[in-house]
Amino acid sequence: MVALDLAQNTLDGLMVGSSYALLAIGFTLIFGVMRRLNLAYGPTIMAGVYLGTAAFISLGAPILVVLAIVILGASLVGLYVERLCFRPFGEGARTASMVASFALWMQIEEAAMHLLPRHMNPFPALVASAPLEIGPLMLRADHLVMLAATLLIAGAATYLLARTKLGLAIRAVIDQPRAAAIVGIDVERVMMLTFVLASAIGGIAGFLIAATDAQVTAMIGMWATTKGLVAMMLGGLGSVKGAIAGGLLLGVLEAHAQWFLGPQVRDMVAWGLLFVLLAFWPGGLMGAKALDRTMAVGRRV
Amino acid sequence: MDGFLITVLSNIGMISFVALSAYILLLSGQISFGQQAYFGIGAYVAGIATVMWSWPLAAALVLGAFVAGAAAGLVGLVTLRLSGIYFAMATLAFAEIMRIAAELFVYRREIGGIETGPDGIDGFRDIRYLFANDISPFQSCLIVYALLVAVLATLFIVERTRGGRMLRQVGEDPLLAEVNGIDVMRVRIAAALSAGAVAGLGGGLYAHLLTYVEPRSFDIMLGVHALAYGLIGGLGTALGPLLGVLIDIGLLESTRVFRGYRMIVFGGLVAVLLIVRPRGLLDEVAISRIRQALRRWRHAGD
Amino acid sequence: MLDVQDIVTAYGKIEALKGVSLAVAEGRITCLLGPNGAGKTTLMYSIAGVLKPRRGTIRLGGVDITGQSPSAVVARGLALVPENRLVFPQMSVAENLEAGAYQRRDAAEVATDIERMYARFPRLKERHAQLAGTLSGGEQQMLAVARALMSRPRILLMDEPSLGLAPLIVEEIFRIVAELNKDGVTIFLVEQNVHMALKVAHHFYLMEQGRVTFSGEPGKLAEDEVIQRAYLGTSRQTSGDTTSSHKPG
Ligand SMILES: Nc1ncnc2c1ncn2[C@@H]1O[C@H](COP(=O)(O)OP(=O)(O)OP(=O)(O)O)[C@@H](O)[C@H]1O
Ligand SMILES: [Mg+2]
Repeated sequence: MVALDLAQNTLDGLMVGSSYALLAIGFTLIFGVMRRLNLAYGPTIMAGVYLGTAAFISLGAPILVVLAIVILGASLVGLYVERLCFRPFGEGARTASMVASFALWMQIEEAAMHLLPRHMNPFPALVASAPLEIGPLMLRADHLVMLAATLLIAGAATYLLARTKLGLAIRAVIDQPRAAAIVGIDVERVMMLTFVLASAIGGIAGFLIAATDAQVTAMIGMWATTKGLVAMMLGGLGSVKGAIAGGLLLGVLEAHAQWFLGPQVRDMVAWGLLFVLLAFWPGGLMGAKALDRTMAVGRRV
Repeated sequence: MDGFLITVLSNIGMISFVALSAYILLLSGQISFGQQAYFGIGAYVAGIATVMWSWPLAAALVLGAFVAGAAAGLVGLVTLRLSGIYFAMATLAFAEIMRIAAELFVYRREIGGIETGPDGIDGFRDIRYLFANDISPFQSCLIVYALLVAVLATLFIVERTRGGRMLRQVGEDPLLAEVNGIDVMRVRIAAALSAGAVAGLGGGLYAHLLTYVEPRSFDIMLGVHALAYGLIGGLGTALGPLLGVLIDIGLLESTRVFRGYRMIVFGGLVAVLLIVRPRGLLDEVAISRIRQALRRWRHAGD
Repeated sequence: MLDVQDIVTAYGKIEALKGVSLAVAEGRITCLLGPNGAGKTTLMYSIAGVLKPRRGTIRLGGVDITGQSPSAVVARGLALVPENRLVFPQMSVAENLEAGAYQRRDAAEVATDIERMYARFPRLKERHAQLAGTLSGGEQQMLAVARALMSRPRILLMDEPSLGLAPLIVEEIFRIVAELNKDGVTIFLVEQNVHMALKVAHHFYLMEQGRVTFSGEPGKLAEDEVIQRAYLGTSRQTSGDTTSSHKPG
């Protein structure tokens, strides 16, 4: 029943891929306004999720409170990262910025280990109902919630960027930072808000993935950084649509690879695809049109 | 000398190879997240050469460096057109592919009645060349530093030649370099090749000094650390990356003052240091000041 | 209206402005001439808050704005048409204009102002949905001017608006400059095109190597004499019937 396997894998992949898409949206927003890589993005999410977990374990906080703590925690830590790794650096010090964010990655992970020293910790489960059956296919209810949340957030982010004043400012800063300053946009403030926004979105992604697993491990920071990066690059940098496409593609690909080739090969396939795309088709999924722009942005990192 | 100190010194020496490898690429203007791949390649190849093929250590190290350099050159052919984040991600992707490949790589043979060789995710154990040949930890440490000094000396000499100046020029402004008639792609491939070989040499040493290497030994952490060392220590001189390694491993990890809080301290320090000195402690300005001071001092001595 | 006193602005160790003083009178067109690398753009960016001067003061309508952020300077009623236009290439013409009105809170008025811009620049109306990066050079220049006007500035700084444009379009740009001025906008214009500049300007300054070396009124000096002074480096022997307002630096 290969056809059935393929269908089931694709379905599972789309669900997991939706969390990747959220991570990629956050990464893309930060990369867009900063033009620098935030390696501490995953650990920022980890910090939020760990704070939520700690509240859950020690105080028995209900799931919505945990969600609020995760979002708030990730946003605050995101702000800290922005202050220390991005705001102080000018255009000329992109590498320094990135390495500083790596230094904070190490720092945040160690702090998280002090908060919850065990490798694996329990996390409140999202929905505990039995899987839905659609014909021969199975669909986990919590996966559906994850997909719905992703679509909701992606829609909200798109609306924010396209229709609001803050969105206009964010796009202006992404497009031509000096001109943004000249027309009177407070560029530093926009960068800060974007950072907080992206961290909050990342926090939601972290929450969703931890809640569907009903547990969280110390690997979540590394996981979020690498998955988000790969999904963003697959999508071709710099657009919310690309980020969603990249995330879903990564999810589907991994699901098939895991089913047919095993978990180790799964990770290799994702990296392999990224490598081939970069080496031979660097525009990513958004194709050649987006290439010029993204290359110009990406090159300057 | 006591055993702990020798171990720490050896570690500093071996990690310095990866840091230098990342530094060479930084000079050429490229940020690599993936120099650990060549460290791993060097470690496996050299280990296989001594253990499974009974090669002498020197030949094995050369082979490890050679294969790593060749791999880096080949990867460079397809990735060096890229720059910025694209190059960084391509190098990381390659390194992760190599690490997972090592997790799947099984090559076992019976040598002297015992089955040995790389064993997938458990890694490659019992690389006992140094032990079998009665080379003490102190002697191995000397080997590490002899090779490190040789690499550094080569780097210093190259930096003074036309090739070295071309390398910095390509790093600072590839377009201008192109205009000035420099074949940017060739310079970059040469840089990638040598960077790979240097990392491979470090990997070969690592496998033999620790007697084992496993896929985890060369994950993304090693790669990004290597990059960070150059930036902390300074991009003005090849001694910069070594200073970075020294500060991290020598001062923080080994003195154990901040046990359990090392990364909290180190991470914060690095972030603040980079704000003050975005090109590291020994940046170009610092180096030219030191040179001037030395010159003055020498003249005063005359 | 705009009063610049003894401004020093540096890139690293190199001082691009070595003590510049000049004044732009309200309701007039003041022109800044000078050879490449004189520091004209640096001065524009220093006034607009993009670059921070090391020393000196800049007053706008009597208020000290030295070292303030660009957004604070825009809030005080100053707008800049930057060198090389700097439109938002990946945004539509309409969005570029909206961005120009970023600090305004009167959405309805902004919409009518956009229509006004379209009336003044019909080409922009035709292309309102097109990405600004795909406009021609002249169209981009008009967009940059229109974008600056969207903030309803009291004073407009323009950095070489005619650069690289065909003569016909240059004339159009200068016609617009004169029109804007008639509508009451104070204008401070950097130009290489001495001929056109002197035709519209009420007052002009010459700048050389980071210093103001001459200042005067167009009518009183023959054009080729100005060109001589501005571009052939004889301006140091300042003389003539105009006052030199620069301070010894
Ligand atoms: N970003 C920068 N970094 C270093 N030096 C700069 C920078 N921008 C300008 N300069 C230098 O400052 C001086 C003044 O430059 P500026 O752009 O202000 O001149 P300009 O009068 O506008 O010239 P042009 O007529 O060519 O536009 C020049 O010597 C230039 O090389
Ligand atoms: Mg200029």
